[in-house]
Amino acid sequence: MNPNWAEENLQTIRTLMERSAIYRRALAPIMLFAGLLGAAAAAAGLAFHLDSIRAFGVLWLNTAVVAVAGAFLIARRQAVKDRENFWSPPTRRVAQALLPPLTAGMCVSLVAVCIVGNDAGGGFNLLLALVWLLFYGCALHAAGFFMPRGIRWLGWIYIGFACAILCFSAVVQADVTINAHWLMGFFFGGLHLAYGAYLYLTEKKNPAA
Amino acid sequence: MKPELFIQLDRVIHEKGRLAIMSMLAAALELSFTELRDALAMTDGNLTTHIKALQQEGYVTVAKTYQNRRPLTTCSLTAAGRKAFAEYINLLEQIVRQNKP
Repeated sequence: MNPNWAEENLQTIRTLMERSAIYRRALAPIMLFAGLLGAAAAAAGLAFHLDSIRAFGVLWLNTAVVAVAGAFLIARRQAVKDRENFWSPPTRRVAQALLPPLTAGMCVSLVAVCIVGNDAGGGFNLLLALVWLLFYGCALHAAGFFMPRGIRWLGWIYIGFACAILCFSAVVQADVTINAHWLMGFFFGGLHLAYGAYLYLTEKKNPAA
Repeated sequence: MKPELFIQLDRVIHEKGRLAIMSMLAAALELSFTELRDALAMTDGNLTTHIKALQQEGYVTVAKTYQNRRPLTTCSLTAAGRKAFAEYINLLEQIVRQNKP
């Protein structure tokens, strides 16, 4: 008998326990849905010139609500199709990890949209978009502890870019003239689509996701 | 290696397939039959046999419910199963420590 069989057994147990605790629903359809929705919202914002703070906030908060509801339905459909429990412990852990940063982001946004209203300057939309990027990045990073395939890295990309733009505008002491819809479209549309496409192309090779 | 430690290992859990099922259930609290089958790449028959053996020992409970009008079979560890699994791991750790120079 291999003298290391006990160690190997322990390693196998550890691997299986880790695999068991990880959220396994396919993320590609969810990411592609979120990306398409983000791109559509950005296009609508640009086409209809929804540039006032209230219009900007209402558009993107509604987009977020639709994105969350859609992701929920896609995940539930997958669970029903696979004859698996939808509200499983890994799903609960991911939801619990996502909830605090997303709630905080939603709260800050509602306060900004309702109280600040349209009185703030033109750069306020951009600031709001950067705050959303930060909170969303934190949410992805927190959920990434219970999810495979680089979700934490995606979270860091959101956080990193938001911090970089904030620092750049503070250090240079200049107005950063990025249209907030473009920024949102790039990060919540383009980045989700790119990540979804990556998952779509690689998930079949590695069904563990 | 002292043989007494090896002899103490729970024979029901020590089998490869059943150990994998116990490990998965220990971390996830409950898993559906299909999740276990897919994660462990077992056939339906093989998994059913192992789960029945664990059920007979009182280590696993099986619940049959419906989700969206489709049958859903979920498995979870009992308190006795959790205790037996913890004891099995303790013994493995003792064996590892004993084997180290």
